Amino acid sequence: MPETIEIQLKKGVLALCVLALLSRADSYAYEIASRLTKDIDMGEGTIYPLMRRMQSDGLVETYLVESQSGPPRKYYRLTNAGRRSFEQQKAEWAAFSNAVNDIVGAAA
Amino acid sequence: MTRAEFISRLRRGLAGLPVTTIADIVADHEAHFADAEAAGRSEAEVAAALGDPDRLARELRAEAGLRQWEEKKSPSNAAGAIVALLGLGALDVMFLLPLLMGVLGALFGVLVAVVALFIGGGFVFAVGPLASPPGGPITAFLIGLGLMAAATFLGALLTAATVGLFNLVVWYGRLHFRLLKPAIDQV
Repeated sequence: MPETIEIQLKKGVLALCVLALLSRADSYAYEIASRLTKDIDMGEGTIYPLMRRMQSDGLVETYLVESQSGPPRKYYRLTNAGRRSFEQQKAEWAAFSNAVNDIVGAAA
Repeated sequence: MTRAEFISRLRRGLAGLPVTTIADIVADHEAHFADAEAAGRSEAEVAAALGDPDRLARELRAEAGLRQWEEKKSPSNAAGAIVALLGLGALDVMFLLPLLMGVLGALFGVLVAVVALFIGGGFVFAVGPLASPPGGPITAFLIGLGLMAAATFLGALLTAATVGLFNLVVWYGRLHFRLLKPAIDQV
């Protein structure tokens, strides 16, 4: 079942993608969700449980920014622990995806 | 589904969590609808993209239950975590229950034995010296003390084993609902 493998892969790398986006710039949930939906076709709803988990794990923290229209907007930024976790996961991902590419490429 | 409908179903599904947590989660989703509206998307479209609010609520509740167990290993938090996982359908009851019952039964048996050992030790400690035992009163006194110490030690081991067991169940449930369940649901 290729769909199953694809969904599991996406679930696994979702946290890494969020860390990567936040390492470039602070952002708010809707923006993160739209980006992930557009690029890797994730369900938008998955972002909220994920952000709460990452926040209670101490990887991200939030702050409010006043907006011209409507209530203040909640922004996320990486903590130091989040930054370390990103560097580590990035290295793991690079090593893993290179290894897989080598094998898959060799088989083609 | 309209925005109001989505939010009220989400709110209903979260009942039981701390009020501030619910308010926080609801505010997140309200903001999501507001941002989407600003981007020109319809309420129905956004609600569909967010997914089933009941399932979303179950996932958020389960996460909160597991978090509490990890922070404080109390029996009520253990029960809370298990109930939350059951609600999510993450624990396959038919598969897990007989297994869990067996293990819990064994743990209970060991608990009874440990308590009996402690009481027996106490008895030897208190009565032994007066009953003119073979090795003299001091020996009975020390044997009693030794038995009680052994019971205390076994009790500590038993507690550690029980905590370990629940950690294992929580770990299994998490693995199940993070990886397997979403995959199965969407196929």
